Order: sequence, then C-alpha cells, then structure tokens
Amino acid sequence: MSLDPVQVMSGHAKELKVVPSSNGDSKGSWEEKEEFDQDNLGLTTKPIPPKPENAVTIAVSTRVLFRTDREQKVFEQKGVEEYLRYQIEHENEPFAPGPAFPLVKALEAVNARLRELYPQSEELFDIVLVTYNHAHVGIRLINTINHHNLFIERFCMTGGSSPIGYLKAWHTNLYLSADSEKVREALAEGIAAATMFLPEKQSEVSQSQLRVAFDGDAVLFSDESERIFKAHGLDKFFEHERDNEDTLLDHGPLKGFLEALGKLQKKFYAKGQRLDCPIRTYLVTARSAASSGIRALKTLRAWGLEIDEALFLAGAPKGPMLEKIRPHIYFDDQMFHVEGAAEMGTIAAHVPYGIAQKHNAKQNTSAGK
Amino acid sequence: MASTVQNTDVKQKDADRAVVVAVTSREVFKSGPDDGGEILEIDESHLLLKLLHRVNERLEEENPEEPLLFDVILITTDSQRQQQSSRIISSTKHYGLEISRFCFASEDDFAESLQTNNVQLFLTTDRNEASQAAQKGVLSALLDQRVAISTSDQLRVMFCEDAVIQPDSGHTPSFAAQMGEMRRRFRLSDSPLSFILVTLHGGRDRCADSLLTLRSSGLSVDEAYCLAGAPRGPILSVLQPHFMISISSSGLEK
Repeated sequence: MSLDPVQVMSGHAKELKVVPSSNGDSKGSWEEKEEFDQDNLGLTTKPIPPKPENAVTIAVSTRVLFRTDREQKVFEQKGVEEYLRYQIEHENEPFAPGPAFPLVKALEAVNARLRELYPQSEELFDIVLVTYNHAHVGIRLINTINHHNLFIERFCMTGGSSPIGYLKAWHTNLYLSADSEKVREALAEGIAAATMFLPEKQSEVSQSQLRVAFDGDAVLFSDESERIFKAHGLDKFFEHERDNEDTLLDHGPLKGFLEALGKLQKKFYAKGQRLDCPIRTYLVTARSAASSGIRALKTLRAWGLEIDEALFLAGAPKGPMLEKIRPHIYFDDQMFHVEGAAEMGTIAAHVPYGIAQKHNAKQNTSAGK
Repeated sequence: MASTVQNTDVKQKDADRAVVVAVTSREVFKSGPDDGGEILEIDESHLLLKLLHRVNERLEEENPEEPLLFDVILITTDSQRQQQSSRIISSTKHYGLEISRFCFASEDDFAESLQTNNVQLFLTTDRNEASQAAQKGVLSALLDQRVAISTSDQLRVMFCEDAVIQPDSGHTPSFAAQMGEMRRRFRLSDSPLSFILVTLHGGRDRCADSLLTLRSSGLSVDEAYCLAGAPRGPILSVLQPHFMISISSSGLEK
C-alpha cells in the first residue's frame, strides 16, 4: 500500500478547503498538512481494507449512519437542488451519529481484536457507505467520517440511481437503510437487509462487545409457521410445530448474516477467547421453550449455527428483555415489535419479509436517501 | 500528409466556445472487406455519437443560440483508413451523423492533427493511440468497448486515476471547467450528461482530494465511488461509463 501522506492524516478532524486551481498545489490546502509529522509515517498508516469476498461486508446508507433529519426536511420541503446547496453550505459541519452508528463502532472494536489475533487475515468486517446521495454531499460525508474517526474507506454515491447493483458488487452481507423500498429490493435480490429508524431515545450499548439480536420466524427462519398462525390461529400453530418438530424450518433472510457472525466468533474460540468473545448473538422469539421453540433450536443445530442466548418469551412482550440485552441491533419482521423495542430505547431494525408485511398497520414508506 | 475537410451538411460550431471532441473513424465505421460499395457499415459504437448529439440537442432546447456544444471531428489514424476518405465522408452524410469536420491522418501524424484542430478531447479504444495523443498534450480518454452497445440515453463520463495513460497536466482543468459549465445547463435529474469519479486505490481522503480539485476546476461530479483497492470489474460493470478520463492520483495537475 502506498504511504500517501494524505491518507495518514485522515484521523484528524480538521476542515477541508476548496483548492483554487491556480494554486498549483495538487494535494489541496488541508490545514493539517503543516502539522504532518514525518516520523509517524510508519506507525499511523491505516490498515488496508480487506477484499470484499473475504470480508463480512456491511453496507450502510447515510441516513442510518448519521443523523440527517434536518437535511431530509430541506429535501422534502424545498427539493433536491436546495438540499444539495444546503449540504455544501454546511460542508464543514459533521453530522451527528445515527441509529447504525453504535453498531459500526462495535464492528470496528471487533475488527481491532481480530487484527490483534490474526494480523494477516482478511476475515474482518468491512463497512461500506452505500447511498443514493449525489456526490455533492461527498465532502461533508468524508468530513464527518474523519470527525468521528470511523474506519470507512469505501463508498458508493450513486447520484440517484439504485444502489442494489453495487450491493452485489461489494458482496454485501447486510444492508441497512432508512428507505424500506430499497430494503425490500435488496431482500428480493437475496441480500440480508433491514430498515432502521431514528429512535426517540437510545439506551447506552457496550463499547467492547458487539451484540446482535434476532427474531426467529421470518428473520432467521422462513415465515412458514407465521403463515399457519395468521391463517389458523395459535392452536393450529402449536399443533403444526409439534407435528413437524423434526423437520427443519426453511431459512430466512438473516440466516446468512448469523452464519457470518458465527464464523468470526469461532476465530475467537480458536484462540481460547470464548468467555471474552467480543461478539454475542441472541434469539428473541415469541415461541415457547417447551413446545414450539424446540423446532427452532433443532433447526439452528442442524444448520451448524450456534446462538449464544435463546430467549423464548412464549408471547410475552419483547421490550423489557431487549432492554436488558442492549443489542447494537435487533432484527424483527413485525413493525409492532420494532416500535415496541424502540420505545424502550432499543436499536431495532425492520426486516420487511414474509406474511407479516401484509398485516403491518404502520409501514415506513418514507422516500429519500 | 494530413488534411481536414468540413462537413457541409452540418452547421459549424462556435470556434471559441465549443468543446472539440475527436473520435476515430474506427469507432464509427466497421472495417470490413472492401466490397467496393460506397457506404461503410456503421459500428454499434456510434452510440457514442448519438449521446454527444443528444447533449447538443438538449443544450439547444434550453438555448437555441447555445455556443457551448460538442464539436465532433472524425479522424482517421491509420493510412489504410486515410485512403477511404471519400467513402467516410459519404457514409457520414448518408447516416446524417453530426460530424462537423473530417481529419484524414495516418499513424505518424494524427497526434499532430489533433493539436492543429484544437481537439480538447480525443476518444479511442486504442491505448497506444491515447498515449501518443497524451504525449502531444491532447487530453485522451479510453472508450469502454463493453458499454458501446448499452441502451443508455445518458453520456456517462468517468474520471479515474490510470497509470497507463499519462494524465494531461495542462488541459484537464479547463476541460473540467467547460464540462462543469455544460453540466450546469441541466438539472440534477434527467441530465443527458453525467460525471463520475472513481477512486481505485487509496481511501476516502484521496477521493476527497479529487472531489475538491475537480470542483475547484468548476466541475461537481454527480456520482463518486471509492474502491480502496477492491476489484474494479464488478463496480464498473454496474457503473457503465462510456469513457474514462485519466486524472493523476493526486489531483488533476502533476
């Protein structure tokens, strides 16, 4: 990797300036250039991002990584030209963190641990910013990434075209966006995806351990059992689950992501760090342990997937349990649960998959970036 | 000996303001067997001419007197083609292509002809030709052969660092300024012209550098992609640029 001095300095939160073309200084007049310490060249070089096919790639949009609600209003009320003008005007003001921010920080913490244990390995998390913002917002976004010291070196600003093609090109393992339409498109293409919303409150989450929680049906598993429940009621559901206890459930859209997390967990176990593993996974399901939950567990086991904690709520509300877990993200296919969790400060994401979508009373259909 | 001929079927462009673009005849007309027929068969790549023409049409829709248009020259770059000059002219008129001038040159003097015709952008699929032209100080861009047949109705121009073609040190900023001005004639969406920045190596700071440098030259790109070393193939096949202009990895000026 070339030791380009410009790259080394990105960790500092400084302002960017526009370069007058007559200047002749091809590298731009960034303030921090004068402060560049030649001696630190070797020590502060950033690590090279991994090859997409080796990494667990998480693609996030600008609206979930950062708070852009003010700008979103400008866009909705005054149109795209005014929105971009506003963005450029405020180019040197970094955005505040958005709902996916704690998750990204936790992913980076895991990467740091992985790099310590396996310095040559490319099996890491790679975070890519995929947005259909115009490149005019690029400087502000890069400024913001620098300000928050995030490890994001890859992005796609598609200027209005669909980002789906790029998700595939990046071998995306998980796509997070505020736009449920884009999330649906991604799911239809077989990419794990979820919609995130700006919560009113957000509880503190761990800085050192990544915690990911999943609903069972229509998230890790297919929605087949939910269909029975919706069509024929709870009794039929129990009967069906009992009769099919030894038949594996079909997989759901987030199964692959759990699998990817499991692979990374095993790398910690291999180095004797099971108790201290910085990745922890949870199943939070309305199924009950004594009956319908058995089929879920058997399926997971047959898939070779371990989940650290399985919480069978037997229909009890999920909110209090999630509040105890404090995941960096919780995936559920039902908006009712997503909203309930969010009310208690949990970072919840909606997976618009399966039969529950036809019954969702409130669906987020806001357009935007 | 090179020669330049005007196309009397087409209105000549403003010599001061128009952006002179040269395309090789190889890209436009298929070199088939010499069946003696007068009209040459047109290549699918003539889509590029269509897209350039469409930009001009849209510009003139906004302002019928618009001087900032693409001024397309068709140039032959080998002696064999040079000999087909009359067929090239009649074929061009036959298809009604918006080419204002023809330049008949050979391998030895085409680069000089580009200079004498004030060509601001030379488009070719041949890397060697592009390098030769660049050495004479003419901004050159590689046409992407794969995209020639796409159904795009938008001219997609990519700026990217490329080690093979020496980036032009003098002319790129002024070309960027003209392109920026042209781009601003259109709104953000539904533009017949789109500019893309791709940073292949290096991270976000290199991308920021290029964004700022292009902007200070007068061009705000529409799309930006930072690959930071990821394989370019998959991304480019989604991007589908029509041609790629090389910028140095540390901005537009060396």
